[in-house]
Amino acid sequence: MSRIVGIDLGTTNSLVAIVENGTPRVLPGQDGNKLVPSIIHFEESGDVLVGNTAKARLVKNPRNTIFSIKRFMGKGLDDIREDLALLPFEISSDSEHIIRLKIFGRDYTPPELSALILRELKRNAEAALGEEISEAVITVPAYFNDAQRQATKDAGRIAGLEVLRIVNEPTAASLAYGMNQHQHGTIAVYDFGGGTFDISILKLSEGIFEVRSTSGDTHLGGDDIDEELIRLVMREMGGSPDPSVIPELRKAVLLAKESLSSQEFAEIVVESLNFRRRLTRDEFNAIIAPIVERTMVPCRQALKDAGLKPESIDEVVMVGGSTRIPLVREKVQTLFGRVPHTELNPDEVVALGAAIQADILSGGQREMLLLDVTPLSLGIETMGGVMSKIIPRNSTIPASATEMFTTYVEGQTNVKIHVLQGERELVKDCRSLAQFDLKNIPPMPAGMPRIEVKFLIDADGILNVSAREQRTSKFQSVEVKPTYGLTDEQVESMLLASFEFAESDIEARQVIEARNEAELVLAATEKGVRNEHFRGLPAEEQTGIAASVSRLQEVMKTDSHTDIRAAIEQLSANTQNLAELIMNSAIEKALKDKRVREIDNEPPTNLDKH
Amino acid sequence: MNYFEVFELPRLLGIDMNALEKKFHELSRKYHPDYFSTGSIEEKQKALEMTALLNDAYRTLRNPVRRVEYLLSLEGFKPDGSKVPKSFLMEMFEINEQMEEVHSGSASPEAVAALRADIEGRAAEFDSQIEDASQEWDRLVKAGAPDVELRSQLSRFTEILSSSSYIRNLERDLEDAG
Repeated sequence: MSRIVGIDLGTTNSLVAIVENGTPRVLPGQDGNKLVPSIIHFEESGDVLVGNTAKARLVKNPRNTIFSIKRFMGKGLDDIREDLALLPFEISSDSEHIIRLKIFGRDYTPPELSALILRELKRNAEAALGEEISEAVITVPAYFNDAQRQATKDAGRIAGLEVLRIVNEPTAASLAYGMNQHQHGTIAVYDFGGGTFDISILKLSEGIFEVRSTSGDTHLGGDDIDEELIRLVMREMGGSPDPSVIPELRKAVLLAKESLSSQEFAEIVVESLNFRRRLTRDEFNAIIAPIVERTMVPCRQALKDAGLKPESIDEVVMVGGSTRIPLVREKVQTLFGRVPHTELNPDEVVALGAAIQADILSGGQREMLLLDVTPLSLGIETMGGVMSKIIPRNSTIPASATEMFTTYVEGQTNVKIHVLQGERELVKDCRSLAQFDLKNIPPMPAGMPRIEVKFLIDADGILNVSAREQRTSKFQSVEVKPTYGLTDEQVESMLLASFEFAESDIEARQVIEARNEAELVLAATEKGVRNEHFRGLPAEEQTGIAASVSRLQEVMKTDSHTDIRAAIEQLSANTQNLAELIMNSAIEKALKDKRVREIDNEPPTNLDKH
Repeated sequence: MNYFEVFELPRLLGIDMNALEKKFHELSRKYHPDYFSTGSIEEKQKALEMTALLNDAYRTLRNPVRRVEYLLSLEGFKPDGSKVPKSFLMEMFEINEQMEEVHSGSASPEAVAALRADIEGRAAEFDSQIEDASQEWDRLVKAGAPDVELRSQLSRFTEILSSSSYIRNLERDLEDAG
């Protein structure tokens, strides 16, 4: 059985980790870095770069360089309108229920783009472990709704990974912390990342990690702090600059933000706009205070839902890059009245926890067990646009509820069920999840059919629905129309497209490699031709070499790596004699040189003995 | 299997929370899908269904109100709105008017605080009524009381729950208003 990796698919950075000999570790990429920036760059040629190489192109080529795609997962156009002002992306008109980014004339959905990041992580893990990886545990913010979780699972599938489990980020982090400390008691995990905020309250006892409550905001993170600073710069410069300079602006404020975590002041420098500004930590704190305060609201809610007071929390654990900010640490410490834990690298702790969960699933260890909850109440639409809750938030998952439905009209064969997530009373204030269509109900008088519908939230926090007509005991077919998301068929066709994509990728890589080799061979041949031994070759050998050189130069212009390779072979064969002659004389010369040097190195003979 | 059976408990309302949690952890270790990830489709499905049932049972039994509601549904009783006393409805009407003022923002902070205290006080009162009625139920069951007495006690629960649902809605309303 192949090994299962744990993946933290982050807004800013993504990581892949694995448990080896009972210890989790992050697997570095080919460039040696553990963090893979969640950035994707598209070249006009169709080549795709992911991670640090893509990040390097962010400023120069903003339109074709995609970042923070996690914020778009499971969202429709209305959800992200506000963000778009500061994002240089082109959105396709067909984005009402699922965002489509237009890149070189092709539409990409967030799951497809996330799949490119996952594929890079998969490749990195395969290179580091020397084996194929096909199964993974992927983390998501605890407060992610059904559509966002499903979108993450779809991304895994498109990347060629079977997602064995979706795990909540704060709970994953608690596994990584709990593993080192074998603690008991109640802990709060404060997870403030690049794009999302989560708080989870857990009770630990004898290896069981039981989540008592969770709350959060899936649109609150370091990105919001950056955007506040970008607005500051824009205000001070007067007017909004060309959208294409925003990435440079973003980079400049990011640098300032990061250095303010350890320095008392920093400078925002935007060279192309000739902008320079000193920013003190006090000023910075004043700017971000409202954002940090927003994280306190879910914290209080989670405490209330768990029926706990801040003083009953035994330990507080900090996760996510934004917890490096001193003001954030200060506020958390004030709320809970204790110094939060920051021992583990906040960028890595979620990936390490994901690897531990992967290890549990693969049967590696049975000591720890995570019992997580659903962050949002699940309900169905009833008469008058009212949402009727059937599974309350903070229910341990898997969780289920059974409801009875019937018909209103004689002979009615269809019943529609509208499923929602949220805490508000009215349907319009909740998040529409899907429309379920119960079909082929046996025709009966109105009110006679008794259709038992079972709503089951699985261990990934994703809803499954099954239905049975009680009188006939027949399972009813349920047709699902996700409100925000892809149908199974769409995911399937994206999966197929990604295979073609991967194949054309390999093809393109092989052509590039063949061309590179051809260039090396041609350069060597050119050198050889200038060598004195070339003139000593028989005439037909000389013309043979010239012919195969021009043949190789010709096929190098094509995209056939097999033709290029064949031409390289031919040239190598034709130059073999020449190469040997040159080599031999080089060896002779080297030996001669050596002798000369050895003689040189002998202690000078004193000729003058006087 | 009903929720009491899942936990191998008699159909009584007094439940030792520590023992319930211990049993919950023990059964989670037995059934959780995490331990069947490499198993067959049937094993995985069974683990999912058993754990969902276990979690549903735990969620219901650990909460005193949900526990009573569940007992009523097992016994074929439903909360009945018509059993709510008229005087209580009049009081609710008044509280609702005050709630309107909170929603429209015309209520003073003192008035909001007073309303909150009033609602919380009533909620606590219902909690203790449910607690008392639950103890009475257990006493009747253990004493082998005749069916008619048991049914009248169940009917008493439906009255308490119907009235308390008004209070729960008000609590939620107040929460929504901030």
